[in-house]
Amino acid sequence: MTQYSPRYAGTVTKYIFVESPDMTPSDLAIRAYEISQGVMIKETCFGLQVTGSEDDVNRIIDSLRMLDPSHIFVKDRGFPPGDSRRCRANLGGARPGYFGHEFEIGLIRRVSKGLESLPARKPKDTPHPPAPSRVRKLDAARLKKIIDSQES
Amino acid sequence: MAKVFIYPTTSLILSDLVARFGHTPLSAALQIRDRIQTPGLESPPLQITPEGPKKGLRWAAVEVPSGVRGRMSLYGPMIEEAEAAIIINNPDFSFGCMGCARTNELINFLIRKRKVPILDLEYPETDEEGVEFVAAIKRFLDDLNGGAA
Amino acid sequence: MTRVRIAQLSCGPEYSGVQKEIDAAAAAVDAEIFFPDLKLADLKQSYDEFGLDVRSPDLKLAIARAKALVEGRIEADAVFIATCFRCAEAAIVRNELRRFIHENSKLPVVSYSFTERTTSGTLLTRMEALTTIARRRALLAREVQQGLTMGIDSGSSTTKAVVMRDNTIIGTGWLPTTAVLESADEAIRRALSEAGVTREEIQAVGTTGYGRFLVGDHVNADLIQEELTVNSKGAVFLADAQHGPSTVIDIGGMDNKAISVQDGIPGTFTMGGICAGASGRFLEMTSKRLGVDITELGPLAMKGMSRKVPMNSYCIVFGTQSLVNALAAGSTPEDVAAAACHSVAEQVFEQQLQEVDIKEPVIMVGGTSLIQGLVRAMEELLQTKIIVPHHAQYIGAVGSALLASGFIKGD
Repeated sequence: MTQYSPRYAGTVTKYIFVESPDMTPSDLAIRAYEISQGVMIKETCFGLQVTGSEDDVNRIIDSLRMLDPSHIFVKDRGFPPGDSRRCRANLGGARPGYFGHEFEIGLIRRVSKGLESLPARKPKDTPHPPAPSRVRKLDAARLKKIIDSQES
Repeated sequence: MAKVFIYPTTSLILSDLVARFGHTPLSAALQIRDRIQTPGLESPPLQITPEGPKKGLRWAAVEVPSGVRGRMSLYGPMIEEAEAAIIINNPDFSFGCMGCARTNELINFLIRKRKVPILDLEYPETDEEGVEFVAAIKRFLDDLNGGAA
Repeated sequence: MTRVRIAQLSCGPEYSGVQKEIDAAAAAVDAEIFFPDLKLADLKQSYDEFGLDVRSPDLKLAIARAKALVEGRIEADAVFIATCFRCAEAAIVRNELRRFIHENSKLPVVSYSFTERTTSGTLLTRMEALTTIARRRALLAREVQQGLTMGIDSGSSTTKAVVMRDNTIIGTGWLPTTAVLESADEAIRRALSEAGVTREEIQAVGTTGYGRFLVGDHVNADLIQEELTVNSKGAVFLADAQHGPSTVIDIGGMDNKAISVQDGIPGTFTMGGICAGASGRFLEMTSKRLGVDITELGPLAMKGMSRKVPMNSYCIVFGTQSLVNALAAGSTPEDVAAAACHSVAEQVFEQQLQEVDIKEPVIMVGGTSLIQGLVRAMEELLQTKIIVPHHAQYIGAVGSALLASGFIKGD
């Protein structure tokens, strides 16, 4: 049994995804480096990972979000950046969570659309989503009625 | 500020929107971070040791597969902590932490049993559904603050 | 030696705390585990094409990865499929993927259902077999024993040694395993004496079985090899079924092996995993309780009717209880012997043979294959004739001696 000693204990890591017509991940990275003040920034294909104390990370995120609020998305990450346990180079393939990101990124522009257009709408005009679909079974009595009507 | 359970617990979209609208998302990453940053016995990749499935016995009996119990050791505490929940009902491609359908069914049941406010949604498929989706989440989260936007 | 790359298709090991055990077992045989890389779009398409509708996303991922391997989009040397024990959905996927890979590629594949208690030790023999098949195809292709070689099978119950010369068995030694090395020395002494040769004359030695490393080191073996590949090789050699498909069943003292073989090379296999009620031990206990020698149990069982005695426990304690009850209720020793054989065969059939594709010829090997009642019970369950080759109880030693001849200097 090998003992485990964590690296980066006490830090938080957050993903910053950018999916924008006006901004690339490297644009975001340049801005992040400017304000990083020693906080660890790692550029990725979809945006950044920021690692540091929670306050520092939040400060950077608040600042970056302002650049393109409807197209920048943030989420916590359990691992520090480049961790070999999650790294594609070590695993041979993407960690399973990557596919979930790939899936959500594929539809995130609709969320951006919502974020963009919502402030312009009056509260009473904001739409309600339909309730999640449940396939309703045809009532047996109603089915009987249909059959009867066909037979007559 | 309410602690909001999100489902899928790995969702970038839900995690972002909950935090953006002023609340705390309870995501799987926080539980994983907790394990990754705690010293103990080495158990890569997630630092879930065989003790994990044993801890999971609190939420699932011993005849339930170890993977379900191990996952429940992550989600059980989050469900108990939750003050509200947003649930996407068609997360067909959320892998890893959300990779087991049996666990997901159990999570769904247990969070509903908590009787906290719950918002049920589906992933938006059109721009207009995107607007509805964001509006519903904003309204739900604002209501958690007593309606103050 | 190049590292063997084993593709892992799984659901749950990281959450059961056993991924490190899988990694460790692979590392112990100089192999590495990897996760085939895909794009989400490929994943969706492959999953749809496969056509098995499952709810768990990680199982969808496993299906898509299996397809990528079979179609050659991703290269691997072997495949390891692992899902949670007691998950029905995963068991269906595990079986179908194993079959799919076996039928559509040359990749050796092993499947395993784990619990949080699974250790690397449990997985080691399976991983060793996987890597051997991937790494030593040339060695396993050997069909003829040449020169003067010896094979030693250090099993959990018995130790066997065989001396072979020019494709013929010329000496055998057999005794119950007590102290591993002493038992091996004595088996070797007997085999050499029967063959009329000295240790120094032997050109190459192979070991297999539980004690293979210890004994291999002790006798300075040329080949130390797990029993899955060795027994497959020995079985098809002795049964003269070296080409085409076959199925090898070995009900051992401690664990059982069921191996689906193609051209003498294992394709899929299962090993152990069930309780003593389904092992050779239970038959030993039965013969003891009936007051007959184990060699007499088979003929006795052939005279009995298993149906007359209810007995079907995988637990040796409950099995013995049924046995005692039956005798107390006046059942004949013949019927009890037949019932014990049927019970063991039924457990193996239900718990293990479901995991491999049974293809004829079916070959039974190991000491228990000499118990005719057990073979008959298995024939009834499988509805097929079973071949028990000569020297079936020496199977591991024969396989070792055969493969060891590949190590004769200058060969």
